[in-house]
Amino acid sequence: MKRKGILFWIGAAVFLAATFLMTQVVGNQYPFFAGYVILQFIVLAVAWSILGGYAGYVNFGTSAFFGVGVYTAVFLAKAFGAPLLVQIATAAAIGALMGFALGLLTLRMQGIFFSIATIALTIIIETVITNWRFVGGAAGIQIERPPTTPPFDNYVQMLFFVQALLVVLAVAISRYIQNSWIGRGLQALRDDELAAECTGVPTLRLKLMACVISGALMCAAGAPAAMYLQFANPASAFDLNYSVSALAMSLIGGTAHWSGPIIGAILLSATQQLLTVTISSEVNVLLLGVMLVLFVVGAPEGIIGLVRKIFHSRNEGKE
Amino acid sequence: MKRRTLLGGTIAVAAFGLVSSVEAQQPPIKIGMSMPQTGGLAGGGKPSLLGIEIWRDDVNAKGGILGRKVELVVYDDKSSAAETPAIYSKLIDVDKVDLLFAPYATVPTAPIMPMVKQRGLLLIGNFSFQVNSKVGHDMWFNNAPWGPPDSWAASFLDIGQKAGGKTMALLAADQEFAQNLAKTAREVATKRGMQVVFDQSYPPNTVEFSSIIRSLKAAKPDIVYVASYPPDSAGILRAVNEIGIGDNVKLFGGGMVGLQFGSVMENMGSLLNGVVNYNSWLPEKSMYFDGTKDFFDKYTKRAVEAKVDPLGYYLAPFGYASGQLVEQAIKAVGSLDQKAIAKYLRENTHKTIVGPIAFSADGERKETAVLQAQFRGVADKNMEQFRSSGKQVILFPENLKSGDLVTPFEAARK
Repeated sequence: MKRKGILFWIGAAVFLAATFLMTQVVGNQYPFFAGYVILQFIVLAVAWSILGGYAGYVNFGTSAFFGVGVYTAVFLAKAFGAPLLVQIATAAAIGALMGFALGLLTLRMQGIFFSIATIALTIIIETVITNWRFVGGAAGIQIERPPTTPPFDNYVQMLFFVQALLVVLAVAISRYIQNSWIGRGLQALRDDELAAECTGVPTLRLKLMACVISGALMCAAGAPAAMYLQFANPASAFDLNYSVSALAMSLIGGTAHWSGPIIGAILLSATQQLLTVTISSEVNVLLLGVMLVLFVVGAPEGIIGLVRKIFHSRNEGKE
Repeated sequence: MKRRTLLGGTIAVAAFGLVSSVEAQQPPIKIGMSMPQTGGLAGGGKPSLLGIEIWRDDVNAKGGILGRKVELVVYDDKSSAAETPAIYSKLIDVDKVDLLFAPYATVPTAPIMPMVKQRGLLLIGNFSFQVNSKVGHDMWFNNAPWGPPDSWAASFLDIGQKAGGKTMALLAADQEFAQNLAKTAREVATKRGMQVVFDQSYPPNTVEFSSIIRSLKAAKPDIVYVASYPPDSAGILRAVNEIGIGDNVKLFGGGMVGLQFGSVMENMGSLLNGVVNYNSWLPEKSMYFDGTKDFFDKYTKRAVEAKVDPLGYYLAPFGYASGQLVEQAIKAVGSLDQKAIAKYLRENTHKTIVGPIAFSADGERKETAVLQAQFRGVADKNMEQFRSSGKQVILFPENLKSGDLVTPFEAARK
């Protein structure tokens, strides 16, 4: 267990060093634009998986949290000219509060009812933002980026690195949860909530905790998007696509292990980026749909589940 | 064996010949853009792209520009603002295109404005609204006929005031374009001391408008300015048809999106009669310039294959005009130097199939060419009727006018 931990942190350090090196060496801007989107989806998928995977509460509200993150950044940038880190930290705090409120209100509902409540949340918040003129209202708002801070000579490169930091943070938290009493408790309540409660697992407290952490990470992932796009409008920020993608990525990757959502997010969003600049038509959307169906039918436990199955059957063959 | 060697040799020679003939030609001029081909804006993006493609084929048939063929590099942005930054970065940094066109509509265009400004690149806009007003990029040129921001509302209210209108009602969707229109309408009304007796925004996806139309009717306005999107445009006109709007209303319409597209017009049929609405191009005599008829002959044929709007009046000719703008500028400048092209575009008037185009400092048209036209004598379920003149009579601008307003609205509806 300990050796695995050291390996994980070495991996994280290598990843961060590689992304940092990339910002210093690569002159072409496109990898950063495309890479930023992929990293953003990794954070969203990992965050979704904390509540959706470990606890089994299917959350369709990813876009609500993401959008609140975007608009927190927009508000802070417009009202106070706040720097990026303040925007992200505030967004995370608001996301945590929002997760707490959502949890209190809805976690007593189970299954499909919880999912419906989270969709409602997206619609409510989007309507509020649509009617808030200070942040642009329905018409949207253009935001100016502040000058870049060294050692980055380009704002998108900086955003890319910041998002990489968020990835490491999200994955570390998710991994910690999985390996700690929180994860075991969440797993217990996913299997049978009543039985878990009866055996002394504090189910509501655990669910609230998962909701708070998941919400904070999603909002934090949304905050830099305001500066990435330099434009925000409710329809784009609260796009249901974020919810569906985060869910699909986690499911395709597999929710049984912290690495599942990462694999799913890299696979799906990289394919999406690739298809956008190659096929670029309705076929693009169709391909993604077909991929989803294939995974749901062929590998219901995701890539992680598939790999485990193959290993198991091989080992059995040896014996 | 020998035969095979011979065959191989022939193929090699042929291949070499092919390669060298390609090399002898100059590389094509690459024009890059994203275009909404899926999602909510696809209905506009596709005909717009077809217009640009027809221009490309025309230019290449004439031997290209500066002896180089024109090639389009087009990606689908799914109607989303989140997609365009990565796409334009790909176009600039990886595909290394020579010129950039903007995607159709405001939302996908907004995120790329700061980017092109920062890099000092020319961008030909495609029907976005006031997207450069805050950015202030001096190499931006919008192909849309909008003109100064308030001219749209001003021309509509002008027509209403001439018909004796003194009060206005405003009904707008809570969406980007409609809210921009509503804002300028309010400003123009205040400037002219016109009383706004009803001002309501409704959430997008509203389908049932009878209560809103009832309260609007109760306010007894002279002019009703509607800024709506395709689904709600239909809902509003249906409610008006059922409930009526009152005899004081002299002018109804203004900024209803959707009434420019063939399929929507076909569906609404006689409900459209009497409505005065904005448009960009209509088949009236005054609208035919050099090449316009040729263009629509080609478009009508190709629209069937491409399965896009069979009429294509609203966007397609302007896509073609975008091409004509850069074609003339590159020929005049004699190179692909973007600064020089921008300077030329700013300082001259350009002949296009949608009429002469001249730009003001902000890259929008110097004068508005947004048409205000009244639907007349429209029958139900007939697409072909819209190809003949007289179905949409142009009331504004003066130089393109093809008839006078029929008023009040209730009389014009019959």
